[in-house]
Amino acid sequence: MTGHPANGLDDTVHQRVRLGILTIAHEARRVEFSYLRSNLELTAGNLSQHLGVLESAGLITIEKGYAGKRARTWVTLTKAGQAALAEEIAQLKLLISRIDGTGTPGN
Amino acid sequence: MTTETAYPGDDPHRLLSNTRELAQRVRKEQRATWFPLLVFAALAFASIPVRRYSGHHLDCWAVPGGRICKVYSDADFVYWPIALVLAYVAIAAFYIRRSRARGVGTRVRPYTIAGIIVAVALTGVALWELHNPPAEQNPMGLTGLPYRLASPGAAIGLALLVLAWAERNRALLLLTLAYLAAVLVPITFGWVQHDPPWYSYPAVFQGSVLLLGGIGFALAQRPLRSPAP
Repeated sequence: MTGHPANGLDDTVHQRVRLGILTIAHEARRVEFSYLRSNLELTAGNLSQHLGVLESAGLITIEKGYAGKRARTWVTLTKAGQAALAEEIAQLKLLISRIDGTGTPGN
Repeated sequence: MTTETAYPGDDPHRLLSNTRELAQRVRKEQRATWFPLLVFAALAFASIPVRRYSGHHLDCWAVPGGRICKVYSDADFVYWPIALVLAYVAIAAFYIRRSRARGVGTRVRPYTIAGIIVAVALTGVALWELHNPPAEQNPMGLTGLPYRLASPGAAIGLALLVLAWAERNRALLLLTLAYLAAVLVPITFGWVQHDPPWYSYPAVFQGSVLLLGGIGFALAQRPLRSPAP
């Protein structure tokens, strides 16, 4: 493994939709499934798949319940999720500084 | 829409800027700064008749170079702690209800807890100061700061600082700093009326600032309506 920042990217997090889920969850105490779906413009099935990946990795917790008669699914970021998001952002910044500094991402 | 796979080759500039835009959008949607400001403005205005029509104590004693008089109302010590705690309960309930409706939970607990702690602590300090008045005739410098800090206006301002942090709201931070400066910086014209007219109470100025701030934030944070088809 080299010191290139691209090697520090976690495939679970380095993905547009999953990065979006973690970002939204980071800004909120918890976030509802429908909010994620509308903000990320996803189908329910697609969002469920990404949530499953993140939950399996221990980056989020999923809580199901009811608000009145309406079923709700709440997503909360775990501490591991916070750390993973911070790491992803740091690696992206590092990668950008490499690209901007040398003109090519590989150098 | 299909399931997307990893984007190892995605432009990091775009990923990072999308992430920032998303975070900003969520923060903006969570903000309801106008509500606490309007609640506190209402408390400030409601305190005017409480202070005006409740009994006052006037105690004077000699100090080197003159004398100090303290004028205080027992009702203030009852009204403000109860009003502030009820205000924070109302604000917390409002944010929780709004969070449920929008599907995105707001971290209002630190603000509510900080607000109640500040309100109770400063009431305690104000009660202590009642029995330990300043030794100087005009405590204008840093020595007078604790006496000005132990006031309902300062309690509201300190809690608004926590709200500005919780909402990551720079506009509220600026408004709160200006408000706190007005509350804490001593302004004197060299004389004090024992029975000033109601419109010269600090609560009038403080309530007006909070009201104008609340209206400003309500206009700025009103939901954008999509044009009719």
